[in-house]
Amino acid sequence: MDIKAIKKEAEKDIDSAKNLKELDDIFKKYLGKKGEITRILRSLKDLSEKQKKETGMLANKIKKELEINIKEKKYVLQSSDWLASKFQDIFDITVPSKKLLVGHLHPITIVRRKVEEIFQQMGFSVVEGPEVETEWYNFDALNIPKDHPARDAWDTLWLKPESQKLLLRTHTSPVQIRYMEKNQPPLRIIAPDRVFRHEATDASHDVQFYQLEGLMIGKDISAANFVAVIQEFFQRFFNKEIKIRLRPSFFPFTEPSFEMDINCVNCQGKGCSVCKQTGWLETLGAGMVHPEVFKACGYNPKFWQGFAFGVGLDRLAMMKYKINDIRLFYSSDLRFLEQF
Amino acid sequence: MIFSYNWLQLFFDKKLPKPEKLAEVLTMHSFEVESLSRKGKDLVLDIDITPNRASDCFSHLGIAREIAAILKYKFKTPAFVKTTAGKKNFIKIEVKDKNACPRYTARVIADVKVGDSPKWIKERLEICGLQPINNVVDIANYVMLELGQPLHAFDFDKLEGKKIIVRFAKKEEKITTLDNQKFDLNNNILVIADSKKPLAIAGIKGGKKAEIDKNTKTIVLESAIFDLRIIRRASRLLNLKTDASWRFEHGLDPNLTEQAINRAAALIQEMTGGKPVQGLNDFYPKKVFPKKIKLDLDYVEKLLGTKIPQKEIIRILKSLNFQCRENSSRWVMLEVPTFRLDISIPEDLIEEIGRIYGYEKIKPIMPLSSLIPPKKNENIFWQDFIKNILKELCFTEVYNYSFISEKDTEIFLNSTRTVLVEIENPMSVEQKYLRPTLLINLLKNIKNNIKNYEEMKLFEIGKQYKKDSRMGVDEKAILSVVIIKKDKRELFYELKGIIDLLLNKLGISDIWYDEYKVSFEDVKLWHPKKCAEIKIRGEKIGFLGEISPNILDALNIKKDVCAFEIDFERLEKLCSEESEYQPISLFPAAVRDLAVLVPKKVKVADVLNQINISGGALVRDVDLFDMYEGKELPEDKKNLAFHIVYQAKDKTLSSKEIDEVHNRIIKNLEKNPIWEVRK
Repeated sequence: MDIKAIKKEAEKDIDSAKNLKELDDIFKKYLGKKGEITRILRSLKDLSEKQKKETGMLANKIKKELEINIKEKKYVLQSSDWLASKFQDIFDITVPSKKLLVGHLHPITIVRRKVEEIFQQMGFSVVEGPEVETEWYNFDALNIPKDHPARDAWDTLWLKPESQKLLLRTHTSPVQIRYMEKNQPPLRIIAPDRVFRHEATDASHDVQFYQLEGLMIGKDISAANFVAVIQEFFQRFFNKEIKIRLRPSFFPFTEPSFEMDINCVNCQGKGCSVCKQTGWLETLGAGMVHPEVFKACGYNPKFWQGFAFGVGLDRLAMMKYKINDIRLFYSSDLRFLEQF
Repeated sequence: MIFSYNWLQLFFDKKLPKPEKLAEVLTMHSFEVESLSRKGKDLVLDIDITPNRASDCFSHLGIAREIAAILKYKFKTPAFVKTTAGKKNFIKIEVKDKNACPRYTARVIADVKVGDSPKWIKERLEICGLQPINNVVDIANYVMLELGQPLHAFDFDKLEGKKIIVRFAKKEEKITTLDNQKFDLNNNILVIADSKKPLAIAGIKGGKKAEIDKNTKTIVLESAIFDLRIIRRASRLLNLKTDASWRFEHGLDPNLTEQAINRAAALIQEMTGGKPVQGLNDFYPKKVFPKKIKLDLDYVEKLLGTKIPQKEIIRILKSLNFQCRENSSRWVMLEVPTFRLDISIPEDLIEEIGRIYGYEKIKPIMPLSSLIPPKKNENIFWQDFIKNILKELCFTEVYNYSFISEKDTEIFLNSTRTVLVEIENPMSVEQKYLRPTLLINLLKNIKNNIKNYEEMKLFEIGKQYKKDSRMGVDEKAILSVVIIKKDKRELFYELKGIIDLLLNKLGISDIWYDEYKVSFEDVKLWHPKKCAEIKIRGEKIGFLGEISPNILDALNIKKDVCAFEIDFERLEKLCSEESEYQPISLFPAAVRDLAVLVPKKVKVADVLNQINISGGALVRDVDLFDMYEGKELPEDKKNLAFHIVYQAKDKTLSSKEIDEVHNRIIKNLEKNPIWEVRK
């Protein structure tokens, strides 16, 4: 019989096998010691070289195919019981996933951790200080004089009784002052924490928010160093190429002072509603630490210089998650918090 | 401040760049231009002048000077009075306090015809947001917008005694201002007076008494400098802010008064036909001269981190009117124009150089620094550790406001009111006090979310604030947890389990819950029976309990709520990362059950103790799996059912050995005559 005809017949037999015994017989019939395929393979020696090669290849190929067919059929026959019952059931994979309970960290915690991680990798320590502050730490030591319009930039919540002159810190700069009083340069710190302002609330302002302030002091820490460190931070924070630009600004505690914009993370700087078509987002205030601040902390400004910066953590979180209202952070609305 | 594009153009012969381009260069080199809008034939730039530059840039002249420096344009100054009439000056000036008024310049102009201003003056005032009044007043305002110096004009014929006195107001003196407001004055407020009465609140607003009207013939022009703190104080006391007070309280150049008064005189002469009288009244006892600053050129490079050629540095400073007195290859000696009140140290000059040169030219350079690893912040480390554990336990973290309202204090607190820290100037009644406990806002979170969620597990780590006689305010970091469930049974014990688990993960094992007996300061919050103190090695670190039904009623919460608070700072000191692996016994464990019927008032802990003591080392674990009170049982009794796990470390226990221990436990339990082991 023609080898291809044998193959066809064998396939038909395998297909119609009803149990393992029948399948075993089919195996013997074709692939057993005296099986038909085996016989053909054995008879090869009588053929010419050319025929030997052609027929041999074909027979071996068919042998392998039949072996696989038999294996598959064997698996089907062995499983027939549960196959019959389960595989015929209708199973709908589009039924919605089961909702599992998990906990959630606050988005500001998540952003704060990310920020801390990036700065720690660059050698910055994370420091903290009290929320209730004195005028000295919040203003005087930062070269913000009493009875001066410069103070108006920080609308302050004061505590009763007025005579104590205690306030809720308006920035985390006092943390830096406290740290400098106790530590000698060179130093690298960040202070991410809660601050307060006496300010009317709207989608981008609230009476409390989180500020990240940073400070690096050394013998020759320059504005160019600031640009490099802060650009590195933003690129790691947003996981993409970020362009930054510095503009002149004024803070009593830095000289020179900068306002820093980053290219809009929403439109990549092309111009959109988020950046008011400018392509830039005003993000951060910074500058070179003012000599008066060094003096207030007991450092000699002749020997030390460095940069300081401040940025809202809420604002970073809003950019990262495209949140449009700062008040959501303090609403404790679980429908909001469960998204993080 | 609002600036007119056309007005700025008047300072230059060369055409200014297009408004958008001008706005951009100003933003990048001087001040942020917040908006740009068309108004008639003119364009309006709203420029956010930083407070340090108020002294020279609250004026078109100041912005023109900036433009000249940035764009390298040549810049012209406006015309000043030259001719004066034959009459001699006939006004006397008397300044009582030279510190309050370091300079007072006055000029008399006769034969003035008061009327409307020419159209171009009116237009410019309107563009900059000022109402035209009459030509004399308008010119005073015009010069203020042009040069930055506020001016005031009095009707000479209305002055009593032909005299101007600068003095502090007397007690119970009053003034009616030009806009008919009446103010009570006091001796903190500086006034301009004639020999009898105040004519103006110095540096803030003019009075009705010597107002310029259409019959005015002779005027006295005032151009003065007042102490900025005195003006600021008066402006606050009277709650009166004006264009003038705003400029004075930021400080002005004393050398500007003369320039400004002569400019105004020239315009009045031209517009009203007035004749400036010979001589200028000038009280200026202590003339201000330019400061000198030595600038080290290496320091410029070291601070900015970029090299700017010396030639460029000198060009920039000269373009901003700094005079270069001497220079070498290493340093420059500079004279600061007196209108730059903001410049006093070399760093100020470096800012000028940097911004005009262009901050965009500063290229990023990573700092070179020794490899000092950052310090570990234990506080943040343990906070994060705890947050992670609670998150694993399906809790959601919230951040609440640090404030509570008056109403909150009524609902939640009673005796604690005395420790409340009150805000002097709260933004709203909702934020009148600092929170004395985190629980108030957490319970409100439950109330606010309950329409969307039946079950909630919330936590917050934050500060609570209490009055403290020593430090003023004691702020303390607290971990606070609340939980509400559909199935309210065993809520208390679930939370207790959470505390055990949390503390165990923090390496703390010696936990004890003490019944809470004496009156607690926050007792109004807690259920009087279902609450306990959390202790570690005998030290109280927190409180656990069900929230009082009264409070839940007030919040309209229909289910039970359990909560705990732990003093984070105390907890942190007890935490430890050290933990040691316990070898797993190679020998099998056997479980025997045991049920005891005891009076309801008996504590489970007492029974457990007895089991553990009696069982000894072979009892590896005792687990209360059921606690039952009900109909089938005698009244006042409860049934406690335990799994007892027996295991030895060194051998397989035979059933005989187990029986021995188990029976010993039963025997010991039954020594108590009212405890009944159910076999």
